[in-house]
Amino acid sequence: MVSKSNFELLLNQGSFVVCGEMSPPQGADKAPILKKCAYFKDYVDAVNLTDNQTAIVRMSSMMSSVFAMEGGVEPIMQMTCRDRNRLAMQSDLLGAAAAGIKNILCLTGDYMTFGNHPDAKGCFDLDSIQLIHTASELNKGRFLSGDEVKSPPGLFIGGAANPFAEPFEMRIIRLGKKIAAGAQFIQTQPVFDLLRFEKWMAAVRDNGYDQQAHILAGVMPVRSVKALINMRDNVPGSMIPDECIKRMDVVKESKEDSIEVGVAMAVEIIKRLREIPGVKGVHLMPVMWESITPRIVELCDLLPRPVPASGDDAL
Amino acid sequence: MSKLSEKIAAFGERHPTLYKSIALSENVLKKTVFKCQGCGQCVLSHNAFTCCMRCPKQIRNGPCGGTRPDGHCEVYPERLCIWWLIHKRAAKLGRVKKLSKFHIPADRRLENTSAWLNMFAGRILPFELGKKSRDVNLTKKDPPSIK
Ligand code: SF4
Ligand code: SF4
Repeated sequence: MVSKSNFELLLNQGSFVVCGEMSPPQGADKAPILKKCAYFKDYVDAVNLTDNQTAIVRMSSMMSSVFAMEGGVEPIMQMTCRDRNRLAMQSDLLGAAAAGIKNILCLTGDYMTFGNHPDAKGCFDLDSIQLIHTASELNKGRFLSGDEVKSPPGLFIGGAANPFAEPFEMRIIRLGKKIAAGAQFIQTQPVFDLLRFEKWMAAVRDNGYDQQAHILAGVMPVRSVKALINMRDNVPGSMIPDECIKRMDVVKESKEDSIEVGVAMAVEIIKRLREIPGVKGVHLMPVMWESITPRIVELCDLLPRPVPASGDDAL
Repeated sequence: MSKLSEKIAAFGERHPTLYKSIALSENVLKKTVFKCQGCGQCVLSHNAFTCCMRCPKQIRNGPCGGTRPDGHCEVYPERLCIWWLIHKRAAKLGRVKKLSKFHIPADRRLENTSAWLNMFAGRILPFELGKKSRDVNLTKKDPPSIK
């Protein structure tokens, strides 16, 4: 029996979990990962390592996850369906599990034309729900083909959800499909529009999905109004209320004030998210701003991070 | 699938000209009406008669997280998200429930073959969790391709 990840144990015991996120470097040096690990270690419970996010080539999420472990951080390895077929993905999942990676997040992936190799061929052999299904089959000791897996990987499987994209009803249906396919935790797109998120969570609870998987709400701290506007205009499926933009806009002249407002906004959002029934934790996405993590976690009174109760099958 | 339909399919596949004419008429019909992409394992009846393989990411369990507020595709803003359209049509036809069905990974061997004859031949698996591509018996040889 493979031991459970810290992240999974904390969720199972009902602790309010905090995840981080970092993108691997665009080079062959692991030092940037180790440096970023210092911002996350002891402040969050697990960190997502992105997989060629926005279709820009970076160090592989698997090796970055291994380096994150060196840096003392528990990784959540992201895996997209854009770059690999079902053979490569299954073999990567086995390799990752053997290297000690226990959490994975299955995504379909951004389209090639968003990134720096718009001329590439997309694979999309599976979609994210089929990838979740594949990972869950591996856990059960079966390859997609039906052949036996000698030592099943015992992965903690996650999927993503976007409460803000249309059509709303499909977002709930798709969440249900992900859970049925084997997703054990769900990370959402960053929340700025709390009303919409509350509406989505109400639908999630009506279907009982919050009882079947751990829902973690995304939170993205931003430090400039430019970043917010860029997100609203260029990241399809994001929803940013005008009040947020207005709040950041009035302080745009001063860098320090922008940072203060950005931090305050993130802290407020996290505090409100904690009160929504069914939300089991938050997933911080401080894109290019990992260093702010300790401050935000501290301001939210989420320190010190809990440890899993012993007696479980923890190591 | 019954033995009879398997026999029909086998007969069609033994006769290249017959196979080609069936496959091509299916292709022309579906291309014109549904913009068929020739996946060879049709899910039109599940998806409110709208072909999901038109999605740039070919997601069979869609939509992805990038559908725009106006229902357009994240990749091609000038086009509608095909899954947005599927949902809209399904709502109109009272077929939304069908959208919660899980679709197993596509069998790439069936690309550019006749979905009708594949169905008759029993090559298309029921869309259930846990079904294995290996369970599909591609009999003696792959079905002829029309490409
Ligand atoms: S056969 Fe495949 S590609 Fe053609 S219409 Fe049906 S689902 Fe679409
Ligand atoms: S927006 Fe719709 S059509 Fe476009 S890639 Fe996503 S699911 Fe496919």
